[in-house]
Amino acid sequence: MSKHILFNALQLLVVMGFSPLAMGVLNRLKEIVQSKQGPSIFQPYRDLYKLFSKDEVVAEESSWIFRVTPYIVFVAPLFVTLLIPVLTSYPLFWAFMADMVGAGFVLALGGFFASLAAVDSANPYGPMGASRTRMVGFLAEPIFLIVFFTVSFVADSTIPFIVQQQWVTPQSNFFKPSHILLLVAFVMLILAEKGRLPIDNPAGHFELAMIEESKELEYSGQGAALMKWGGWMKFFVLMIIFLNVLLAPWGLASTMNWGAVLWAIPLLLIKILLFIVLLVFIESSLAKLRLFRISEFMSAAFVIAVVAMLTSIFKQ
Amino acid sequence: MQAFQNMTPLLANLNALAGSLFIIATFGIVATRQVRACLKFFILQSALLAASAFLLGSNPLSMHLIAVGIINLVAKVWFLPWLLRRQVEEEVYTRREITQVFSIPASLIIALLLTVAAYFFSLPWVKTAADAGALSINVPVGLAGLLLGGFTLSTRREAVPQLLGILAMENGAFFAGIAIAPDLPMIAELALAFDILLLTFVVGVLTRAVHERIGSTAVGKLTNLREEVQQ
Amino acid sequence: MILFVLISIPLAAAALSSSSSQARFGSMISVIGAVAALALSGWVAVDVITSSKHVLVAIPGWIAIDALGALILLLIAVVNVTATLFSVGYMDFTTTGDSHRYYLNFNLFVFSMFIVPLLQEPNIVWIAVELTTLFSVLLVGFENTREALEAAWKYVVLTLMGAAIALLGFLVLYWAARQAGITHYTWAGLEAGAPQMSPVLLKAAFTLILVGFGAKVGLVPLHTWLPDAHSQAPTPVCALLSGIETTAVLYVILRLLPVMSAAPAIHANTWLLIFGLISVGTAAFLLLRVRDYKRLFAFSTVEHMGIILAAFGLGGTAAHTAAMLQIVGHTLTKSFCFYTAGSVLQMTGTRNIASVRSVIRRSPLIGVALLLGGLAIAGAPPFVLFLSEFSILRAGLNQGEYLTTGLLVFFIAIAFFAIMNHIGRMVFGSTEVGDPIRPYVLPVSSRMTLILAVVPVIVLGVYIPGPLQQLITLAAAVLGGRG
Repeated sequence: MSKHILFNALQLLVVMGFSPLAMGVLNRLKEIVQSKQGPSIFQPYRDLYKLFSKDEVVAEESSWIFRVTPYIVFVAPLFVTLLIPVLTSYPLFWAFMADMVGAGFVLALGGFFASLAAVDSANPYGPMGASRTRMVGFLAEPIFLIVFFTVSFVADSTIPFIVQQQWVTPQSNFFKPSHILLLVAFVMLILAEKGRLPIDNPAGHFELAMIEESKELEYSGQGAALMKWGGWMKFFVLMIIFLNVLLAPWGLASTMNWGAVLWAIPLLLIKILLFIVLLVFIESSLAKLRLFRISEFMSAAFVIAVVAMLTSIFKQ
Repeated sequence: MQAFQNMTPLLANLNALAGSLFIIATFGIVATRQVRACLKFFILQSALLAASAFLLGSNPLSMHLIAVGIINLVAKVWFLPWLLRRQVEEEVYTRREITQVFSIPASLIIALLLTVAAYFFSLPWVKTAADAGALSINVPVGLAGLLLGGFTLSTRREAVPQLLGILAMENGAFFAGIAIAPDLPMIAELALAFDILLLTFVVGVLTRAVHERIGSTAVGKLTNLREEVQQ
Repeated sequence: MILFVLISIPLAAAALSSSSSQARFGSMISVIGAVAALALSGWVAVDVITSSKHVLVAIPGWIAIDALGALILLLIAVVNVTATLFSVGYMDFTTTGDSHRYYLNFNLFVFSMFIVPLLQEPNIVWIAVELTTLFSVLLVGFENTREALEAAWKYVVLTLMGAAIALLGFLVLYWAARQAGITHYTWAGLEAGAPQMSPVLLKAAFTLILVGFGAKVGLVPLHTWLPDAHSQAPTPVCALLSGIETTAVLYVILRLLPVMSAAPAIHANTWLLIFGLISVGTAAFLLLRVRDYKRLFAFSTVEHMGIILAAFGLGGTAAHTAAMLQIVGHTLTKSFCFYTAGSVLQMTGTRNIASVRSVIRRSPLIGVALLLGGLAIAGAPPFVLFLSEFSILRAGLNQGEYLTTGLLVFFIAIAFFAIMNHIGRMVFGSTEVGDPIRPYVLPVSSRMTLILAVVPVIVLGVYIPGPLQQLITLAAAVLGGRG
């Protein structure tokens, strides 16, 4: 029992500690692909350190939402890590606290508060970005639901651990059309939710075109650090959900001893690295979509998810 | 139908994957904005048809299905785009936008409904077979391809996308056919390939004539023959 | 044997006539070929009537011909003769495409129609029907005007869409046959093995083929291409299209009837009846509004296809025999009507009904022909269509189908009124005061064709020669006559 709690804590530390690294590697790889040298992969850590030691400036007109939001955005992904298989393939202490739908809600909670805070700050670009984020999110919700529905229909449960054991681990299920199509739809979802190309350009500085980045515009000092870190952790958690629950649950510790669990950490990092390479490849080959073309992108993802659902349901 | 009893689960899954990608490619034909992209999705769809034929014909080995796959690859993936390019060059290989009756998300939703309808209608047919096997994939997907091709046909106002809609319909019927009738006489297959090429040639000639007459291939603008128009 | 010779004639004619750009040469070759083909078809028909099983077999399981096929074959050959004859004087190749393209496509089109009744394997029949579409498309657009191209485009798109749907239907039919263990996949084999085939699959196949090929026959609501294509094409081609090509595709649908009668739950007859009535009704009402006289005849084709379909939907030997006579009558009458329309077009240069007046004073021959054609196609006595329609209605009353018969009478009456209204004004109407009446003389070939074509239309209304009657009865028997 105590081991479970310790493993859980280890999972939290892994997510907190390695998400800036994942971001650093992603940025560096993007720059390398563009034939530039790029910042060091440890740059996000240095950014966090710098921000934590700075003073915070808060707008006078803002309310308690503005002050509370960085904490919520920071905590939400951590909450979700308690629910999903990060290092182990067996459920840990808090695993049955909420299922995938609950996890989706919690992640959305952080995004919701971030949007509210962007409106709260009375910066003109904040509400603009917030409304755009809401549009993308609103289009993405049905896809999330369909993905979860299909997955839980096939695996007969909505708990991520059970889904992983029942659905993905048996080898014969890998090439099932519903599986592969769900993967494609989910990758498109990740691109949309985290504001990567072709939905949004995270490296852009032009506020009029920002979708996700504008939520962090107003923050400074500790608030900015927490917002950034929370965003990176959300990205890390989404990748973990994709990799460990849907795609490749290999390398997870299946026994209770420390060796297996510690060994699972580098394996996880390797999987995340491979996914980041794929993401860099996708991002470097696409251009940013015009705003109203985003609905077409999301419809395509929706359609793919529904076809996945059809082929799995009608085969029963 | 006895032919598919020996299919390994891996082959069955790969075939199912080919079927799903076939539907996605057909969605691509319905929902693209440019003629060139439409053609690319059609080529993808034909390649998936050939892939399914190869998969179904691999175990037990059926030279017939392999031949079907090869004929399809040669005719639709290689020859047809070349033929279209020769007949209707500027239209296919420019990045012109297609006029559509519905917007792209609306088209996709309607296409989805048609796919669900296809599954709904074809399920009783599949149930009549003793061992469904590949039939439960190919027949619904084929019918969906047929309906979606017909939908593309009715909602486009350009010549080349309409032609691609017709060919997509035939692809869909074929996709169902390779599972339904794996032992169709070879002459039927050859005649079909010839027919498709002849079709493309004829439509290409016609498209060129239309282009010469009205200066573009927007056949949606040809609406003179009506009863209601007052002269 | 003889069947091979028969189908090689139009092929040879196509090859020969395309080798020279002299219009005279091409037309001569085609006419000679058509006459030879007619002779051979007649020979085939006589063979079928006199043989014991009423079937002529060339390659067992692939190429054979029975009574129904022989009838259709004969009709194709007759229309071919009159159409090629009419083309001689009618086709003026100065403004449209070249003559060798015309005759090449024409003969290929006729070839593709010839092979439809000869083939016994349903999948190959589908290919043959597809070929008829492909070879006729360029003919429809031959005049290269904007309207002609529009008609050709709508024709090709709608028809090929229907063909793809029918392809799936044929595949499902093959599926049902394989499941039932039928080894000889021919029309006859299907009929024999019908009771073992799964009703679900049969229903699916029937629906798909009816909808798919129904588009090509001109059944509402997929008929929208028909008035355009059948009016914009050059007149001899119109005669071929309206007279026999729609009938040939209808023949393919009818081949399914004996198979479907083994599964009564499908209500195949009811569907035929419903579709037929809808077509007749729509065509009748649209006939009131036409402004182009070739479209008038094209709509009349839709109407008659509907009547034939409804007659087969009624079922029973009497209705089937009457429907067969209707098929014969319609082919002969419709081709004649189109020849008169072509003559009027040659004379006046316009397709508009309102612009054509007082035809009979300019050319008595054309006027009389137009009048006779209108009466004949509308179903007036003593023409053959009156006889067949009357028989159909009588068969319907005998079976107690009062609603159907009543509706048929109502729609035919409306069509009659519409057609006679338009034709009457064209033939007799007075021109503006002061317009000089310029007499018009038709080319010899057109006159010959008109006279040649009108004879059977009148004769068959009063007397049907013995062999023909035998052929019709045998053909009806092929379709079972049950139901």
